[in-house]
Amino acid sequence: MLRQARLWRLWRRPPAARVLAANLGGREVASGVFPLGNTSPGALNIFDRNLKRKQKNWAAQQPEPMKFDYLREEVGNRIADRIYDISRDFTLALDVGCGRGYIAQHLNKETVGKFFQTDIAENALKNSLETEIPTVSVLADEEFLPFRENTFDLVVSSLSLHWVNDLPRALEQIHYVLKPNGVFVGAMFGGDTLYELRCSLQLAETEREGGFSPHISPFTAVNDLGHLLGRAGFNTLTVDTDEIQVNYPGMFELMEDLQGMGESNCSWNRKALLHRETMLAAAAVYREMYRNEDGSVPATYQIYYMIGWKYHDSQARPAERGSATVSFGELGKLNNLMSQTEKSQ
Amino acid sequence: MSANGAVWGRVRSRLRAFPERLAACGAEAAAYGRCVQASTAPGGRLSKDVCAREFEALRSCFAAAAKRTLKGSS
Repeated sequence: MLRQARLWRLWRRPPAARVLAANLGGREVASGVFPLGNTSPGALNIFDRNLKRKQKNWAAQQPEPMKFDYLREEVGNRIADRIYDISRDFTLALDVGCGRGYIAQHLNKETVGKFFQTDIAENALKNSLETEIPTVSVLADEEFLPFRENTFDLVVSSLSLHWVNDLPRALEQIHYVLKPNGVFVGAMFGGDTLYELRCSLQLAETEREGGFSPHISPFTAVNDLGHLLGRAGFNTLTVDTDEIQVNYPGMFELMEDLQGMGESNCSWNRKALLHRETMLAAAAVYREMYRNEDGSVPATYQIYYMIGWKYHDSQARPAERGSATVSFGELGKLNNLMSQTEKSQ
Repeated sequence: MSANGAVWGRVRSRLRAFPERLAACGAEAAAYGRCVQASTAPGGRLSKDVCAREFEALRSCFAAAAKRTLKGSS
């Protein structure tokens, strides 16, 4: 019984870096950095990260990058709103998968003292948007953050975690680099994103070619997101969803915009070729099934916003069992109770 | 992509002409879309070439539109 308890505790707590270096047979692990080598059991390798880096680099060095920034700007704005809602100032903040820095441009020097921007694409970091906060750009993968434990007061991530292979590990890394009482504010694409495009391509491919292959990447469900954040060690979770609908002239324009945003498909099991006939069929199906009155077609982007805190003693905790002073049965007399407590104070 | 992206540019420019040609074939596209949508209704079955006739009409209209624009531009 005692042995089992000890094993359970070992599994729950991430092992110290020094211990792991011994287990790796002498391989050097930089002290303080998240211990390497322990990917979550069942971690999938869905996305080709190398290709995603090339796609993001290509998208960032196009002649008019602002043309495709509208979605990221809007979500960056909403994340900045949530940061302002937290009545606290952060000395050191980190943006994971920042792109051209859409969140930093909306924040001011008082709220965030210094901003670290990380992304896998160097062209995006080179063309970053102007902001009044002093920033440091670091080329880093979302799954391998090169920072020490307990470094940052605030970590933000806007619309980049949906291309991460091992999401539990990425969230654990974010939890690792946060200081106690630090907060993580993130935005991710949800399950309903681009469902019109997914359905149209599926139907058209089935009708034209007899089968279909996935063209839209898999997204996390909202329940799984809560579980993942809890498993990574975050407290006091808040997850809310939002839908942004953008109207396009047609399916081809939508696909061109997605490519311009750097959101092209990069999963290993993607089909290398999309036949022109299938594209034509899908555009016809899309228009017929989903068009608006004015002839444009909508595309839905469902965004999940999540806020998670790293544990600190000062945070509110659930009260002890049996410490209630008022019973639920007296809920009807709540007004009386409230005025009584006001009078006594 | 190659250094000057000649092939990609050519293919992309051809693809950029698709929306206007599709706009020229609105009726056929709508017919094809309705056929596919009908096969997804309860009781229908979507299999290969279930709407082949509508698609042939759409494709020939599309090719005719392509020939028209090609003739017009050259």
